[in-house]
Amino acid sequence: MDFSSVLDPTHWSALLSGLKVTLLVAFSAIILSFIFGTILGVLRYTRIPVVSHLAIIYIEAIRNLPLLLIIFFGYFALKDWGVQIPIALSVIISMTVFTSALVAEIVRSGLNSVDKGQIEAARSQGFTYTQTLWYIIMPQAMKKMIPPMVSQFVSLLKDTSLAVAISLPELTHAAQIIYNSKYNATIPLLILVSLIYFVINYCLSLASRYLEKRLAG
Amino acid sequence: MLRCINRLEEISSGELIVDGFKVHEPKTNINLMRQEIGMVFQHFYLYPHKTVLENITLAPIKVRKIEEGAAKKMAMELLEKVGIPEKANSYPSQLSGGQQQRVAIARGLAMKPKIMLFDEPTSALDPEMIGEVLDVMRTLAKEGMTMVCVTHEMGFAREVADRVIFMDEGRILEQESPSQFFKNPKEERTKLFLSRILQH
Repeated sequence: MDFSSVLDPTHWSALLSGLKVTLLVAFSAIILSFIFGTILGVLRYTRIPVVSHLAIIYIEAIRNLPLLLIIFFGYFALKDWGVQIPIALSVIISMTVFTSALVAEIVRSGLNSVDKGQIEAARSQGFTYTQTLWYIIMPQAMKKMIPPMVSQFVSLLKDTSLAVAISLPELTHAAQIIYNSKYNATIPLLILVSLIYFVINYCLSLASRYLEKRLAG
Repeated sequence: MLRCINRLEEISSGELIVDGFKVHEPKTNINLMRQEIGMVFQHFYLYPHKTVLENITLAPIKVRKIEEGAAKKMAMELLEKVGIPEKANSYPSQLSGGQQQRVAIARGLAMKPKIMLFDEPTSALDPEMIGEVLDVMRTLAKEGMTMVCVTHEMGFAREVADRVIFMDEGRILEQESPSQFFKNPKEERTKLFLSRILQH
């Protein structure tokens, strides 16, 4: 094993630019899937006839597909239809499509966990259904949604490494390029990359615990 | 019956008119009607993520569009009335059952309703706390508030009610003044009920 390659500054800058792509793709997809997932989850929860059925179909279809497949679809299908977009954007779209479905389920189960009496109390005061959702149900559900939501986003960040398959220049890909050109550097680089993923995701988990505590207060 | 009055229960057949609102008609503006009807539940259902004060002011501000300062002032007066102004900034989970129920009554009153509905307001309470809630309700009744109350507190019903309705299996069996109801019940079912209840 050759640990010296890990210490080589030229490799560091390659890894850093890989990390930037990973973070860019992950956080864009996190924000987008939070928005779309929440909308989907609420739509499914409301049981508005056609709309909630469409939400169910979407969620069930996507939830049962492997992410890698969706990443391939995002990349090749768009290309096939003549849509020219950067690889990173196609990965962001694919990850958003996938994670939204999972976030939607987290949102729905969070909303379902709020006592039905809360709805009755609010409606009995003259709140409309939408107001009840917004002022009464959502804030209570949020608290319960944070931990599973964050663990979903941690998965998302880790799964950006799947985009290696379509040569997105993210962190894992950057490491791959280096150890392909260097003899005996594979394991040290994989260890380094693992550490980077670990630190970022661990910070995310800590942030989630902090948020949870603050909301519980 | 109570839950039909503000249509928390779907009305399957028949007519129900509350203060000019045809509750049974789907096109009636139910939210408008519900603003005029306060409701107190067996399990309180205070909003746990809001302080006591916010619990009381939320609907007046968001539904009635009252200005926040005025809503707070009114909420404090109501808390004064139910006897716990010092709890204004507490959260519901920090209150005893009796205190929570009194906040729930204040929350109902904050909408300045024409009718108050009470759905077994003391059934979930420790025996020691029943009194404080009944006292508040007694005061309301004396002030002339129209109240419909589902209760198992026979002493309270006898003292405060203008009319007693006895129901069994979703049907009204007997409708009387309290003195008639408790002294001369007509139906066999009522007699049986009273004999069982008044023994202890």
